[in-house]
Order: sequence, then C-alpha cells, then structure tokens
Amino acid sequence: MRMKKLGIAATIGMLAFSAAACSGGSGNNGNNGNNGGNGGSGNPPATEAAGNKEPAGGNEAKPQESGKKVKLSYWTGDRHDQDYITEVVKSFNASSADNIEIELVVKTDDFNQAIDLAYASGQAPDLIRVKENTIQAWAKKGYLEPIDGYLSDELKQKFPAIPDFNQIDGKLYSLPNYGSTLRLVYNKDLFAKAGVAAPPKTLDEMVETAKKLTEAGKAEGAYGFAQNFKSTQSALFRSARVIAEANGHGGLGYDFKTARYDWSSYKPIVEAFKKMVDDGSTMPGMESLDIDPLRAQFAEGKIGMYISFSSEPGVYQNQFPAKIDWAAAPVPTTDGQVHGKTSLLGGQWLAISAESKNKEAAWKFMQYMYGDDILKAYQEKGFGLSMVPHIASSAGKPAINGIEGFMPTENDGTWPLEPTSALKLEGIMAPDAFFKYMLSGGDLDAIVDDLNARYNAALDKAIAAGEVKAEPDPAFDPMKLK
Amino acid sequence: MLRLRQTGFSYLFLFPSFLLTAVLGLYPIGWAIWYMFFDYKGYGEASFVGLANFERLARDAQYWDSVVNTFVYAGGKLAITIPLSLALAVILNRAFRGRSLLRAVIFLPTIISSAVMAVVFYMLFNSYNGLLNQYLLKLNLIPERIDWLGPDHAMLTTILIAVWGAVGNYMLLFLAGLQNIPQDVYESASIDGANGRQQFWHLTVPMLGPVLQIVIMLAIINSLKGYESIMVLTDGGPIGKTEVMFLYVYKLFFPTPSASFTADQQFGYGSAVGFATAVIVGIVTLLYHLLSRRLNKLQ
Repeated sequence: MRMKKLGIAATIGMLAFSAAACSGGSGNNGNNGNNGGNGGSGNPPATEAAGNKEPAGGNEAKPQESGKKVKLSYWTGDRHDQDYITEVVKSFNASSADNIEIELVVKTDDFNQAIDLAYASGQAPDLIRVKENTIQAWAKKGYLEPIDGYLSDELKQKFPAIPDFNQIDGKLYSLPNYGSTLRLVYNKDLFAKAGVAAPPKTLDEMVETAKKLTEAGKAEGAYGFAQNFKSTQSALFRSARVIAEANGHGGLGYDFKTARYDWSSYKPIVEAFKKMVDDGSTMPGMESLDIDPLRAQFAEGKIGMYISFSSEPGVYQNQFPAKIDWAAAPVPTTDGQVHGKTSLLGGQWLAISAESKNKEAAWKFMQYMYGDDILKAYQEKGFGLSMVPHIASSAGKPAINGIEGFMPTENDGTWPLEPTSALKLEGIMAPDAFFKYMLSGGDLDAIVDDLNARYNAALDKAIAAGEVKAEPDPAFDPMKLK
Repeated sequence: MLRLRQTGFSYLFLFPSFLLTAVLGLYPIGWAIWYMFFDYKGYGEASFVGLANFERLARDAQYWDSVVNTFVYAGGKLAITIPLSLALAVILNRAFRGRSLLRAVIFLPTIISSAVMAVVFYMLFNSYNGLLNQYLLKLNLIPERIDWLGPDHAMLTTILIAVWGAVGNYMLLFLAGLQNIPQDVYESASIDGANGRQQFWHLTVPMLGPVLQIVIMLAIINSLKGYESIMVLTDGGPIGKTEVMFLYVYKLFFPTPSASFTADQQFGYGSAVGFATAVIVGIVTLLYHLLSRRLNKLQ
C-alpha cells in the first residue's frame, strides 16, 4: 500500500519535473545535425578575428578542407520577411564558398519559449534572431556569444553599438538592422462607411470612433477595435505602451524621473480600452486572439483599428494580402497633444549562439546577412525601416502600401531600457491585472496601488541583487530622446 | 551458495529497470526537491532561500486559483466522461450492424495528439470566425455570437473538449470489463424476471466494480494532470479562467509567450509549486483509494 502511494507520487513527480531536469545537461550537443569539419569550436573569437575581417557580404574565406557541409540552423520569430529571408538564405547556401548550409527555421507564436526549451535540451540553434525584449535576458542566461572579436574597425563604424539594446555589460551581441515604430492601424474603407473622416487624436475620440465603426460594420461582422489578448503582454505592451509614451510616461510602467514604478500612467488608457469593451465595440473573441489571426481578420476588413509595429505593411503585402484600403497614423493621446516620443524599437537582429560548435561559420553567415545589398533591399521591400546610418542614407524609400504612416518622425525616439524584463515579480503581472479589469471591472486605483507596491518591491530586490541599476533622473525629458 | 547465485541473478535482471527508474525517475525528483529550497533561474548561481519558496506559494493567489480551476476542470470532466463512456460501452457491447465502426470512431480522438486537437477546436469555437457560431447563427439557434473561449464559457469549452478526447479511451476499458462478465449471469437474471434496468444496476455495475475503480482512479489522475490541450487552446486564459495547476507549473519552468516580458525561468519556485501540486494530486488519489476500499468492505 505504502509502495503504491509512493509509486503514484513518483509518477506524478516524474512528469512534472523531468522537463526541468534536462536543463542540467551540459549542452555539448549544441547544434542539430552538425557534421563538424570546422575546427573553430572553442576558439575565442579574438584569435580568429585577424583573418576574418572582410567587410560584410564577403564570401572570400577559405573553403572547408574536409569538403563536408557545415550545417547551421538560424531560428527567427519574424514571419513578415519570411519570403525574402528564405531567398537570401537560399542564395547564401548556393554561393557559400565555405560549404556552409543554413537551415532557416521560422517560429512565431512561441518563439521565446522554443528558445528556452532548445537551450534546456541542448538543441540550441547556431544563430538566433534577438529582439529588444529578449537580448538582455538571453545574454544574461549565457545563450549568446559576444561578437566584439569578430568585428573589423570598418564594421564597428558602420553599425553603431547601442548600450542595453545590442551591447550588454560592455559586450556586443548583435548589430542593428531595422527599427520598428508603433502606430494606430486603421481600415479606411470602414472609416468611410461609418462617415469618420480622420483617425482619432484623443482616447475619447478613439472610443467614439470604435463605436461608430462597429455600428457601421457589425452586420458584416466588422468591429471597431481589437487587440491580440491571447498574450496580454504582447497586446498591452504594444498598445497601451505606446499611448503611455505619447502621454510622456515610460511605456512599461517605469518612471525615469523617479526611478520607481508608477502604473497610474496606464489608467486613462485602460479606462478607454474598458469603455470599448463595455460598448461592444471590440471584436468578440479578442481574449483568445493571437496577433496573426488578428491580422488575418484585419486583412479581411473585420477590424476597424488596432495598434501595432511597422512590420504590418510587410504582413499585408505578403502574408495576409489586405482586401481593404488601410493606413497608419500616430496613436491617440489623452488630450490630443504629444508629450513624449513614441518608441523606435530595434538595434539588434542576428546573434550567434554561445553553444554553437561552428561560431566562425555562423559569423560568416551573419556578415553576409549584414551586407549592404541585403539590408538596402530589406528596407526598400518594406520589411523594416533601417536603423543603420549608411543604409538609411542610401537606401530608397520602401515601395509598399501603408508604410508612409510608419516612417519615423521627430516624434519617434529610442527610450532607455526599462528594468521591467529583469524583475522577478510575485503575483499577477500588470498586463494581466489590467486586462482582468477590462473584462470584469473592479477598483482601478486599488489595482494600480497593488501593482506599484509589488513592482517596486521587485525593483528593490533586483537592485539589491545587483541585477538592475535604477538612478532617478529628474531632468528626464521624454521629448528629448534620440 | 545457490541462494546467493539466485539473488545475484535477480539483482542482475533488476538492474536495467533500476537504472532507468533512477535516471528518469529518482534523479529528476531529487533534483526538484533539492532546488525547492533555492532561488534558481536556470543560469548563474542558485542561492539557498530556505522555505521562502513555500512562503511565496502560500500567498500566491494565482496558484490557488489554478488549484480551484483544476478541481472544476477535473470534476466536470469526470462527471461527464465516466457515465458517458460507461453508457457507450454498454450500448456498443450489444450486437448490431456498424458496431465496430462506431467503436473505432469513438476511440479515434484518443490517438490524436491533444495539441493538434486543440488547434482544430480553436477553429471551431473561436467566436470571431469559428464554424460553430456560424452554423448556430445560420440555423437561428442563437441571436448573436457566443464567446465560447471568453471568460464565461472558456472552462466549459475546455471540459467538453477534454471529454471528447477521453471518452473513447475509458469506453474501451469498460468494454473490456463488460466482456469479462459471463453471459449466463444475465440469462439466469432474465429467467428470474429482471428487466434491463435492474440487470444494469444489480449485475453490470457491481460486476464491473474493480474495473470501474481503476478507471475512475486513472481518470482522476489524468484530469488533474492534463494541461496540454488547454495550453494550446487558451494558454490558461482569458484572465486565468482556465489556468490549471500543471500549466502554472509549466509556465514557471518555461515561460510561455504571455510571460515573455519577465522571461526568467523560475526553477526554484517552480520546483516548490510542482512538489505542492504533486502532493495535492497524491492526496486526492489517496482519498479516493481509501474511499473505494471502504466501499468494498461495506459491500
């Protein structure tokens, strides 16, 4: 009997913990399907750098002596540029004098989780697409290889190091390609049908517009506003974030002037979002909507407005060809005035895995990807707005519908890094708490107080542990960002 | 000497199983029990925190909500699955045309991956373009779209999907049990004048007793543990309405996209929550076991 109980407990325990136990692995089999043949593994980058300083795009390195292919995997979460990157990878594979073959893996919905699982199980890719919200965490977890040693002086000049966004604790992990702006994306056809002349400038106007759009479109299943609430973070940290910034506050709850968390900046925004839910102006089923299904619905004309990144024009050109006329505009603010620059996110693109057995080969591919022609075409095809000075000044304007509204203006800038992603928060996170309020109501002031207390406690802990630096900057001006 | 040789051989033959159990069973459990007392993010140093993870667990409202959700989910799933699969087994135990086909169709969901199943059900149930709403609207059965995956109905929807996935499996076990009941018992009951209903309650159910006990125990454990299809369908949402215990544990070990802005894995706290969850499942299973043994004695 006792053994039986023990057996039951053991079975359950096994299931719960076996996944975790894998993480204790050494990660020796770091990349899948490598044939070896490249003796570079384990060499510090610096020793290789001298012989490897061709400018980007160079394919002139020594051919593999063994003649065997070096197979590398590149994982990305980007789908908007998938067709183009597939072509680029194909031509690299065809022309690689080093016998390097890249396998491109595109995962969108659960990319970050897939990366954690891949590292935990010793199957990490050789190259990874890193973003502004993952590069710090992944660098600290030791997933990424510093690339300082590989860079020639010419490359260092061409690609600016941006502290916190591609350079972490003095080490460079990635190079910039494109930056993303955030805008209100709106369905011009539905606006015309509802008799609304222009996109909303204030939050109240947004609520009113959503109502009118729903009245005009509901019979055909079209609704005024939508957000991708399958992930509350992904939803509110693109929508409420950018409105908070335009209102002059840090987008993720952090106040740079006081170096404390103050989520009251989200209050007017969340109230407006709630009003739209209460009015029935939001797409039904938005709680389980992921960003791609949302885009598919917008392309079909079923959504009036949503807020998202400048990758959207590429999506509606390639992934979900839009059946409607649409445009993008600056997001509304509480009083219609702009009090802070809105995020120009970026500064990183490819990074090399610290567990790759073929880091030199990976760097060769990375160099190729950062070649002038590829980066120029990237902007001209409308996949992103270049953040690399020499490309931005020489590449043509993107020839793609809808991009005009996303072009950076004097109201876009790069905010300093908020410590939010480094906090170990206890209890419900801000986006979940706000979404809960939107759906089921409650006392918003109490919710904000509770969030402030918990986020600041977590901040204090992170500061004490030396994981975060937070200095008050009373002179911080959200309109004077670069 | 002979005895020693015999026991030696026994240990030799036991060794492979022992090795597997040790590596795949005992080591991970030991690992988790060790890290329960640490703050460990999966990289860097693990720092000893004593019972702090359990103190945090005690005030972790999200976890206790997930415990309640798990019981609602498991209770709902059991309450529908067990009677339904028993009824189906009794019906499909009779001889009629197309019986094998029906058995196969009902069993089919068991062999389909629960994640794939959840994706298909998402296409059916999502309220913006799901097929279910479209048909119901077309047939004028509902005035407007029902938000099947919204806060009010998400739990019911996940339970129904779980029932669909589980019924075939338990039906098969009941069928095997039914086929072990000798026919002559029913024949003599018929001669004594017992009708179908009486035969079911006074013959079938008692004689299925041992199978029923095992099936219910398996079903309890499975329902308390199940989270895969929920993860794909709702990821525990909306607003935590379908968050179940093991999904919560999973997210601590491998933060899902919904937690991507605090991307740190929390192995220490995750281990503590996993342990507590295992204890909860163990206690429920034990209670059921004791209860069914007591009922046996009463009989």
